[in-house]
Amino acid sequence: MNGNEIVGSEFAEVAVSVDTTANGPRLRLEDRRTGRVRHLDALELEALVWLPDGHLSRLLDPSADRWREDAGS
Amino acid sequence: MTATLPETAHQQTDKADKYARLIQPTRVHGSLYTDPEVFAEELERIWYRTWVYVGHESEVRRPGDYVRKNIGPQDVVMTRDRDGEVHLLLNRCAHRGNLVCDAPSGNSNSFRCPYHGWTYRNNGDLLGYPYNKGYGGKGKLALGLGRLPRVASYQGFVFGSFASDGPTLTEHLGAAAGELDRLARLSPEGEVELTAGWLKHRTRANWKLLAENETDGYHPQFVHGSIFSVTGSPIGALYSDNSTAVTRDLGGGHSENDLRPEFRRFGEPMRWFGTTEDRVPQYVARMRELHGPAAEEILVEGSPHVMIFPNLFIAEIQLFVIQPLAAGECVQHATAIQLKGAPELNRRMVSQCVGSAGPAGMLLADDTEMYERNQRGVALREPEWVDIRRGVDRERTDDNGFRIGTATDETGMRGFWSHYRNLMEA
Ligand code: FES
Ligand SMILES: [Fe+2]
Repeated sequence: MNGNEIVGSEFAEVAVSVDTTANGPRLRLEDRRTGRVRHLDALELEALVWLPDGHLSRLLDPSADRWREDAGS
Repeated sequence: MTATLPETAHQQTDKADKYARLIQPTRVHGSLYTDPEVFAEELERIWYRTWVYVGHESEVRRPGDYVRKNIGPQDVVMTRDRDGEVHLLLNRCAHRGNLVCDAPSGNSNSFRCPYHGWTYRNNGDLLGYPYNKGYGGKGKLALGLGRLPRVASYQGFVFGSFASDGPTLTEHLGAAAGELDRLARLSPEGEVELTAGWLKHRTRANWKLLAENETDGYHPQFVHGSIFSVTGSPIGALYSDNSTAVTRDLGGGHSENDLRPEFRRFGEPMRWFGTTEDRVPQYVARMRELHGPAAEEILVEGSPHVMIFPNLFIAEIQLFVIQPLAAGECVQHATAIQLKGAPELNRRMVSQCVGSAGPAGMLLADDTEMYERNQRGVALREPEWVDIRRGVDRERTDDNGFRIGTATDETGMRGFWSHYRNLMEA
């Protein structure tokens, strides 16, 4: 694993590193407040780079995915 | 904004009478500094109405940057959105009113309230709330963070007004705008930066004692005698009877101590900065390269000493923001001025600011001692009035039509009070 930096604000804290244990590098993101981890590969990151701002804002709606009455967890 | 009952015509006349009684041409009543009712009226008529300085664009350089600021007791968040626009938001959640931002500064394009997770874009728009079925789904609430209806900036200085209409910022600044120009042109890149960090001094005094004192040239020889003698500073002489410097009422409650006549008399570049040109060679060279022969005037005349109504004080190398909290309490926010492209000056300005306004600083502590004693003094019953007549009979009008007095005259205070009275009677 390469580096381990924190991108943090008063609102959220995410540990960021490049994971090299797989056959190709992946970005490893860890939500420090819950321990939940997500890996993003190069193509997924490229998609994020090209995501229009409006799209991203929609994901920031707390009810969009995480805090929903019908959410699984 | 606070809901107030509509005033009857009768109440309005009472108010006008009251301020006409308390504010006279050469004296003002002590209760103006101590009466909580006066303070409450000032909030409505001055702080929540006119243009008030809030922050500087250089404090939110990048998209997503934000800083906590204030207008009096109001907690304001200054942000820069993805399009580069600067917003002044009230730090109050639209749900149940919690404070949304806590950090003094940071970078975030959206803000999530810690109480129930309502999330806002950094322009104040509500992006969403958790478990939205309780509100009938997504996008059902026409709510957002409070916003200052008017935001405008001049030379990067960002001002806000709680009134949706009224004079423009340019009209409000009037002649004081030229002082901000004078400051900015001292930068080889024409830009002021307020990036040195802030010192905060809680002060048990009314904000007006500070605003009046900022261009009071009568006190330095007494109050600042010790720092002048320790540092061998020539500043003291600028505020003496022999000084050719003037105190100018710039209108709109703004005033300045114009020290340029003294600096022109000597004609030495950088004397205003307490140094000589060989100590800051790169800066002087860059300014000469940029301005040609016009550089000499800039380097000789230096930086302004101006009080911009009601809360921004530029004192040559440092800047103060006055935040009133109650009739007898305020906070002074201080920072070193930084000029883009002038590292030689910037280093010195930081150490000079720390030396004068830092925790062990010798200038601000002396002034603050006077403010706090003054606050206790004006609360005593007799003789009731604060005298502001000094130099009234030797006041003149300069070539541009401004009232000027000598370096030690109370011309600036009289200008402050006449504008204050207009606002309070309006
Ligand atoms: S008060 Fe902010 S989400 Fe409830
Ligand atoms: Fe002073």
